Amino acid sequence: MTATTLNKRTVVIVGGGLTAGLAARQLTAKGIDVLVLERGGDHTDGAEAHLPNQRDELRWDTRQGLVQDWSVQTYTLRHKTSETALPVRWMEAFLPGEGMGGAANHWNGHTWRWAEYDMQLRTRHEERYGKKGIPADMPLQDWGVTYKEMEPYHHLFEKLFGLSGKAGNINGQLQLGGNPFEAPRRDEYPQKPLEMTEAGIIFKGAAEKLGYKPFPTPAANSSGPYTNPDGQQLGKCQYCGHCERFICEAKAKASPEVLLYPMLKARKGFEIRLRAHVLGLEYDAKGKRVTGVRFVDLLTGREYLQPADVVMLGAFTMSNTKLLLMAKIGKPYDPKTGHGVVGKNFCYQVNSGINLFFKNRWLNPFMATGSTQMYLDEFNNDNFDHNGVGFLGGAGINASMFHGRPIGGRRLPPGTPRWGTEWKRANAQWYAHSMSMGMQGSCYPHRENYIDLDPTYTDNYGQPLVRMNFDWRDNEVNMSRFVANKIAEIGKVSGADIVSPAGPRTAPFDTRQYQSTHITGGTIMGKDPATSVVSPHLQHWDAQNLFIVGASVFAHNSGYNPTGPLAALALRVGDDIASYVERPRML
Amino acid sequence: MNEKNSETPDAPDARRGFLKQVIGGASALPFAVVGGTAVAAPAPAPAAAGPVVNQVFGYTSFSPAEAAFVETMVNIMCPADEFSPNGVDAGLAIYIDRQLAGEYGKGVKRYMRGPWMEGKPQHGPQLPLTPEQHFKAGIEAANAACVHQHGKGFDQLSPVDGNAFLNDLANGKVKNDSLSLGTWFNELVYPLFQQACFADPIYGGNVGKVFWKMIGYPGLPATNTINMVQYRGKQVPGSLDPKSISDFS
Repeated sequence: MTATTLNKRTVVIVGGGLTAGLAARQLTAKGIDVLVLERGGDHTDGAEAHLPNQRDELRWDTRQGLVQDWSVQTYTLRHKTSETALPVRWMEAFLPGEGMGGAANHWNGHTWRWAEYDMQLRTRHEERYGKKGIPADMPLQDWGVTYKEMEPYHHLFEKLFGLSGKAGNINGQLQLGGNPFEAPRRDEYPQKPLEMTEAGIIFKGAAEKLGYKPFPTPAANSSGPYTNPDGQQLGKCQYCGHCERFICEAKAKASPEVLLYPMLKARKGFEIRLRAHVLGLEYDAKGKRVTGVRFVDLLTGREYLQPADVVMLGAFTMSNTKLLLMAKIGKPYDPKTGHGVVGKNFCYQVNSGINLFFKNRWLNPFMATGSTQMYLDEFNNDNFDHNGVGFLGGAGINASMFHGRPIGGRRLPPGTPRWGTEWKRANAQWYAHSMSMGMQGSCYPHRENYIDLDPTYTDNYGQPLVRMNFDWRDNEVNMSRFVANKIAEIGKVSGADIVSPAGPRTAPFDTRQYQSTHITGGTIMGKDPATSVVSPHLQHWDAQNLFIVGASVFAHNSGYNPTGPLAALALRVGDDIASYVERPRML
Repeated sequence: MNEKNSETPDAPDARRGFLKQVIGGASALPFAVVGGTAVAAPAPAPAAAGPVVNQVFGYTSFSPAEAAFVETMVNIMCPADEFSPNGVDAGLAIYIDRQLAGEYGKGVKRYMRGPWMEGKPQHGPQLPLTPEQHFKAGIEAANAACVHQHGKGFDQLSPVDGNAFLNDLANGKVKNDSLSLGTWFNELVYPLFQQACFADPIYGGNVGKVFWKMIGYPGLPATNTINMVQYRGKQVPGSLDPKSISDFS
């Protein structure tokens, strides 16, 4: 098919989610022309964003109404390179979004600054445990940027999204009630923490009994009415228990479609083209430049070539990698030799937990937000000494009470029959009297965990699916077992009448179970072109007018949600692209 | 900054916004604002005392034989007791029928391209059947196994034998040469049963919000900013009188 060539634009961004919105905010503020191409539509006037249908668990949650259409595009999986990958025909493990705002319209809202050392993790481990302390099959690497350089962007993002939280470390001074392991910040969170749930109170009590320092998870669910520095407003959260997998109809969850896109649309030089499915990048290998983006307009079926001075990839982790592999930009990663970079350091998140049951306490799970969570950081990442434990990394431990949606949000004691009167009795007895404690753990890179293009399966556009070569490796399994025991200890002193057995994460990786949407790596950042796809300024080593941002640039995944660093990097890349537009060069 | 904002009189207040949306969003909405709290006007009480039961008749997907299997199954899994009417009266069979006849049953949003290969359980479903086709193939195979084992079809079994048969299905003890009946029951049938009980009644199950009442799920709307504090650790009034999407439509 012949594509129609459109007029050249200054900056073209692939994917209309959080990173695109943030980068475009920086660019358009400087008057730079920006076009965002987004495959989905605008949810603003849809049933998903309005009462009463917003509260439909079956439609939005169970049937994944806001999630990528797997019939159009999914991923294949093999646990070992010796196996044949099969397509995941209905994915539960992770849930990429579709439409303006991307997955950040159906997110929970947890927003962390990662550990101060996270971006220098290899250096940190070498200093603490020696070079031999890092397993040979774990290609950990520094990101080429420091927390200190990122701090102003974290600060800006937290103000823009009106975070609710309690500081743990202001300019090096530890703060009571906050996270003592928090990277130093310059001031308090923009808003006070969310109200604690009864589950949070129980967790706090139990954790403090054991000498830990629990604190509320920093949240983008607005604890009060809030106006951000751009004059954009958030409503006050109503604790309705419909955050993750839902769009907040009260505009109380900070999201791109609330805080960014309406403002951007009013700015000169900004355009978002919806229902534009990007097919590929035009690459001039000799000149080491991308020249444009090809996309199909879903309203006409017509294909277009959109020339651009600069292209930014801001799609989901998998798609950023896929676009590079398809355009043959950069050397694909080869797990046999460890050489090549595109698809490398593909990581996920190690989550698991236990259930607790209290005969005489009302836990009321339906009064919650996606971020009503108490957390402790003592066993996260490198916050504790790993000498002799048999793994690197760790997990935050939490009491997560996010919702009481009745299809998916009921807990039953082990041994409960699966149907019948006794099943009903147990549901009636425990629904409002149970809670979970869990871990959210790091996932460090493994030489054989990577993504590439599937040789067999294709999407609706005839393009190869991305193939996940992934499994839980010994390091993550050992970590999970260690932290699961710590959770069990907290459960023991919680006063619960029944505690379910600890269930650490074990191999093989299972696509049938939601774990988290925190997929990272594939286009990782770093200082060395031999081991990274993009520079510390997120500029492609082999195409200097191509920038990539998202969790795909993370060199490892930490025991936190990715949004904080991802958003900070997106604001920073907006500034970097502006500087590049002014004077094109390797930054 | 945050303190100042929360005192700004014209700052957006989601709760007010919520009420406005609810009240302005549809005509003849059964809402009144009492003491600043949204409450729904009580639904008309059934003429006679007794549980609200399913009033939707006629299947859109099931054959008579399939209907007999499913009705028998949901009445075993959900017997009439102090918590709810039996499964058919609670709308569970209608729910499953409507789901199979609709988008879900037709495999909408499911990747259905070949080649087809047997996968590991962790790959999820790998059959070239839609959920509806899979459901029906499973009924056929389960019923055949039942006839083989008991000399009669599943709908002819006593409730005790029927329950034992369902347990055997769940535990992978009922065999078929091709179809994994354990997977069929646990990954296809059982989730539909749970959804039938706990999804919003607009989908045909959970008639009279009986399962929401059973567990104390208040349904919608939920404006809990004050409740969060007032009823922390206490039973929430209204949690036993839930509201469905249909109450606001």
